[in-house]
Amino acid sequence: MIAQALMDGLIAGTMIGLGAIGITLTYSILRFANFAHGELISWGAYAALGVSGALATAYAPLAAPIGPFSFGWSLPIGLVASMVLTGLLALLVDVLLFGRLRARKSAVIILVMAGFGAALTLRSLLEFLFTSKPAYFTDALQIAMKLAPGVRATPDQLLSLGVSALLVFAVHLLLTRTAIGRAMRAVSENQQLAALAGVDVRQTIRIVWLLGAALAAVAGVMAGLLVQIRPHMGHDLLLPLFAAAILGGIGSVPGAMLGGLIVGLAEALSVQVIGAEWRAAVAFVILVAVLLLRPRGLFGSAA
Amino acid sequence: MSEGTALSTRGLIAGYERDLPIVRGIDFDAKPGELVVVLGPNGAGKSTFVKAIAGTVPVFAGRVALGNDNVTQLPAHDKIRRGLAFVPQTENIFATLTILENLELAADILPRHLRRQRIASVEAMFPDLARRPALRAGQLSGGQRQMLAVARALIVDPKVLILDEPSAGLSPRIVGEVFSSLARINQSGVTIILVEQNVKAALAVAHRGVVLVEGQLRHEGPAATLAHDPIIAELYLGVAPALPA
Repeated sequence: MIAQALMDGLIAGTMIGLGAIGITLTYSILRFANFAHGELISWGAYAALGVSGALATAYAPLAAPIGPFSFGWSLPIGLVASMVLTGLLALLVDVLLFGRLRARKSAVIILVMAGFGAALTLRSLLEFLFTSKPAYFTDALQIAMKLAPGVRATPDQLLSLGVSALLVFAVHLLLTRTAIGRAMRAVSENQQLAALAGVDVRQTIRIVWLLGAALAAVAGVMAGLLVQIRPHMGHDLLLPLFAAAILGGIGSVPGAMLGGLIVGLAEALSVQVIGAEWRAAVAFVILVAVLLLRPRGLFGSAA
Repeated sequence: MSEGTALSTRGLIAGYERDLPIVRGIDFDAKPGELVVVLGPNGAGKSTFVKAIAGTVPVFAGRVALGNDNVTQLPAHDKIRRGLAFVPQTENIFATLTILENLELAADILPRHLRRQRIASVEAMFPDLARRPALRAGQLSGGQRQMLAVARALIVDPKVLILDEPSAGLSPRIVGEVFSSLARINQSGVTIILVEQNVKAALAVAHRGVVLVEGQLRHEGPAATLAHDPIIAELYLGVAPALPA
């Protein structure tokens, strides 16, 4: 039982970790907690659903399952399209809302409240467009494979784990080995000095939105694939996302993923140990404990 | 714009609030290869003046020209691409990046084939930095940080280098090293504009000095003359009337 709970926690944790990377990047560079980030997860899932559904309708063979997985090529194509579309949505929100507030040098609390407003708007718009009825990428049933005594996972779940690990590694390389990564870290530390070093701060901020939203879209598609798609799915993940980002240390990509895994595992174990009704409280307890005991998180800088 | 100037300002009005400008109509010229020190009492607007030139403080009126190019309203990141480098007084390095990453960040705006070459060239000027490329810049001493900040600014091979009080908070020995470095950089052809409170050390390496008072340029002259100008020393610099040579 415990071994299976660990496996489930690991899978849930990777989804949380991917979403938390976007939160940690926007938080470290824009200096505010974007509560609309959860909606990017939901919009990412619905965008992929829309694109993959349209592709499957236009050309039925694209819906035929690939190997052991429950979905056809329409979903990976839909995922890529969704990463782009969700990135553009995040840019649009920044242009219409956050960017204007930054230009006015608005206080952080104004940006946070604006984020709440944006979240409500985006969520309501999804409900209006798709209703609150759950949707699914596929109705195919998958048989979980036995990985070890007492541990099973479906091919979709294992693929999600692999894709997450690959993405975290890729983002880590982007941040540490490329010019745009250096620019992002420089902007995160000191925007004015970054500009004096030749970094186009506005363009770097746009790239951060695109990257964070694209990762949110992947998290949304994974959540949709492994559970279901609902307009509230991103909102429900918000607390675990922030717990993971803060536990990992704001600005740290590996920290966000590790934080996500810890939160996911803690939630899964809590179901076994103290009961399912406490699952939602676990992320909150972790968040409060980190803020009280180690506010800079596991990998955050002391400053 | 003036003929034969590396950098010039005309009627420059700048500050943080339009109704309360700190820089109030400055005409200034720096010739190619010159080292000009900007002096003045506290609150004279020296730092605001150079920040306005660099693009980190809003310019409300007037113009800034780099050579013959009007760069007044260009953002800071465009000015460095045109050869105008600025080293702020504080927080002038990226403490969470390594020494090499600080240099690479500055080199990222250069064509790819020049990057390694420029980094190597700057490392040759500051061998202390070259010895520990993987060290986090936040672990450097005050003097080493200042050297890294200057090295970072030099990566793009600027036409004009502006420094805001590079000696602030440094020991006299380190100040000497910093000013020696600046003199060497100037001798290599880079025009330098230096804001300094350390009048004696600055005038010793400068060709010319300008004195700002209440946001306006009130006096200028050759450094050697200013260093011995008792009125300037007494009124504006807060030092003994006769500066030792």
